[in-house]
Amino acid sequence: MEHFTPVPALVGGLLIGLASAVLWLGNGRIAGISGIFGQLLPPARSAIWRAVFLIALVLGALVTSRLLPDLGSNPELVTAPAGSGLETPVWLAIAGLLTGIGTRIGNGCTSGHGICGLARLSKRSAVAVAIFFGVAIITVAVTGVV
Amino acid sequence: MKVSLRTQYLLTAALSGALFGTGLYVSQMVDPLKVLRFLDFTAIPTGGWDPSLALVMGGGLLVMFIAVQYGKRRNKPLFDSTFHQPEYNRIDAPLVGGAVLFGIGWGMSGICPGPAISLLAFLPSNLWVFLVAMFVGSYLGNMMMRRVRRTAVPA
Repeated sequence: MEHFTPVPALVGGLLIGLASAVLWLGNGRIAGISGIFGQLLPPARSAIWRAVFLIALVLGALVTSRLLPDLGSNPELVTAPAGSGLETPVWLAIAGLLTGIGTRIGNGCTSGHGICGLARLSKRSAVAVAIFFGVAIITVAVTGVV
Repeated sequence: MKVSLRTQYLLTAALSGALFGTGLYVSQMVDPLKVLRFLDFTAIPTGGWDPSLALVMGGGLLVMFIAVQYGKRRNKPLFDSTFHQPEYNRIDAPLVGGAVLFGIGWGMSGICPGPAISLLAFLPSNLWVFLVAMFVGSYLGNMMMRRVRRTAVPA
C-alpha cells in the first residue's frame, strides 16, 4: 500500500462531491463532465454555462496546484505497452476515441454516473458504473499498461 | 433572458467547476498513473495496489447523496425552475455498450473525461492527442445517439 494516500483522496472526494452538490442545488444540473463536454459539440444546447464550468475546472486544478505543489508531481500520460505493437500517440488516440464514444452513448462517465447517478440511486448508473469499472480493471490486467 | 445566461447561474457553474478541478488535483485523480494503480487489481497480492480512488468516490458520493436528499425537500434548485433529472431508466444496449467502450478507453489510459480536461492545467506531452480523439469520439457518439433516437420505436 505504499501508494495509498487516504487523506488527500478523501478531501479531494469531498470537494468533488461539494462541486456536484453546488451545481445540483444551484442550477439543477448534473456535474457529469462527459455530458458537459459532449454537449458543447453539435447539436449543442446552452453552451455558455458548460464552457464556463470547464474553464473553471482547468483553472481550479491550475491554481490549487500552484498553492499546494507538494500534493502531486507533474502528471504524465502513459506510454503504449511494448507488447501492443502501437506507437504511444496511436494508443492514446484509440483510448480517447473510445472514451468519447463510450461516454456519449452510455450517457455518462465516472462523475455523471459514478458520483451523481449513484447518489440519485439510479439503476442505469449502477449498471454503467459496474460495467466500466469491471471492464477497465480487466483492460489494465490484460494490457499491462501500468 | 434565458435562465442559463443569468449571472448567478453562470457563477454557480464557475464555482462548481473550480471546486471540481480543485478536488481532482487534491485527490491526484489528475494523475493517470494514480488512477491506473487503483485499476490494477493484479497488484493486490503484491501489496502495490492503491485504493485511493475508492475513497475519492466514497467522499464524493457521501456529499452528493446528502445534497440530493436535501434537494428532494425543496422542489426546485436555487437558480432554475426544475432539477434536470434524467427520466429515462431502461437498461439498454447503448448504456451497456457505451460503458464497455469507455471502460476499455479508461483502462488503456487511466484518463476519464474530468481529468482529461483538467490536465490542460499541466499540459503533459501527448495530451492533445487524447483530447482531440475524445472530442471526435464525443461527436461520433452524439451522432450515433441521434440516429438511435430518430429510429427508435416509442415505448
